[in-house]
Amino acid sequence: MSSTDGKRSVEILAELDRLRDRTRTRTHNGAWLPALAVAVLLLASTALYRTPFAQSRTTVVHHPYWAGLPDEQRHPVLSYVFWFVGVPLLVAATGTWYGWRARRLGLRVSWPLFAGTGLGVLLLLAVVAAVPRTEIQPGTLVDQQPGWWHGMLTPLLSIAVAVLALAWAERSPALAAAGAWIALLTAWLCGSPRLGELAPWATDILGWQSGSLGGQLALRPGHYLVLMALPLVVFAAVRAARSRRRPDA
Amino acid sequence: MPDRPVPPHPALALDDTVHQRVRLGILTVLSETRECKFATLRDELGLTDGNLNRHLRILEQAELLRVVKGYEGRRPCTWLRLTRQGRAALRAEVAALEQLVSRLRDATAEPEPES
Repeated sequence: MSSTDGKRSVEILAELDRLRDRTRTRTHNGAWLPALAVAVLLLASTALYRTPFAQSRTTVVHHPYWAGLPDEQRHPVLSYVFWFVGVPLLVAATGTWYGWRARRLGLRVSWPLFAGTGLGVLLLLAVVAAVPRTEIQPGTLVDQQPGWWHGMLTPLLSIAVAVLALAWAERSPALAAAGAWIALLTAWLCGSPRLGELAPWATDILGWQSGSLGGQLALRPGHYLVLMALPLVVFAAVRAARSRRRPDA
Repeated sequence: MPDRPVPPHPALALDDTVHQRVRLGILTVLSETRECKFATLRDELGLTDGNLNRHLRILEQAELLRVVKGYEGRRPCTWLRLTRQGRAALRAEVAALEQLVSRLRDATAEPEPES
């Protein structure tokens, strides 16, 4: 191999890198809108709870958790309708957005994966859960409560999986982290007998009290939903700012 | 003492179909998107319709990309999609080029023998 061949290879690689970066930026600059739409849907779901931010003396929790989190909802059917109308609307808006971008830029994203995953998991939940009817009274003995996996019958799970699918379609590690964060919070909050319950080892780590029997965070569903939506809002703001700076990079 | 086997030269891993500069550009653009419009690719690479068509035919015959014809409203529109083989071929080509470059760097970093 001559040094000219080597220099040519360096030039080709640099050119390919530039081309890759440019195409990647152009293709994935539109990810801010679906991320923001998911965040808005999460934040709007705070309206489904009777007391989303204020502390409440008594709470009656209906299972499955159609509002999303195990707390007192205004009406199970309202929650049910919210997600089963909201998620298809979100998918339709996302499809319109990506269709418009594809016509304008000539570049397509694998957004049907996001749509299929979000709707598919939601439909699966509906099939598994059928209709909301079981009531869990506070103070119920632990052994009478359903297993932790019952808590996974929540629309928030379909949102988490849809965000992970969006991350794959948009090749975004930041979106993947946001999806994993929503999944983690959902698994913890819906898998515990009480909202925000902490295991003894968790309270030990937090340094509240060594050798305690556990604890509970004094946060309400609204606070948790804000925490879930926060990474998506930050992602959307950063990506939208970038796409304004480099609209056709 | 037996001679150690000499590893094959990275230039031997270069694929003639993929190595051509324009075709490498086509595969690179397609690897970053699900599908790309013919006109977008043409403008991106600064080619004429005929020139791009010629390269696309070669890549399509090698099953490295797929041509999807459709309509946008009433206007016919051609979309291009990378196949699994195309993705693997691009990855192998870039790896071979990187090996060539690192070989060149090693060669230039070696101290010159004293005369």
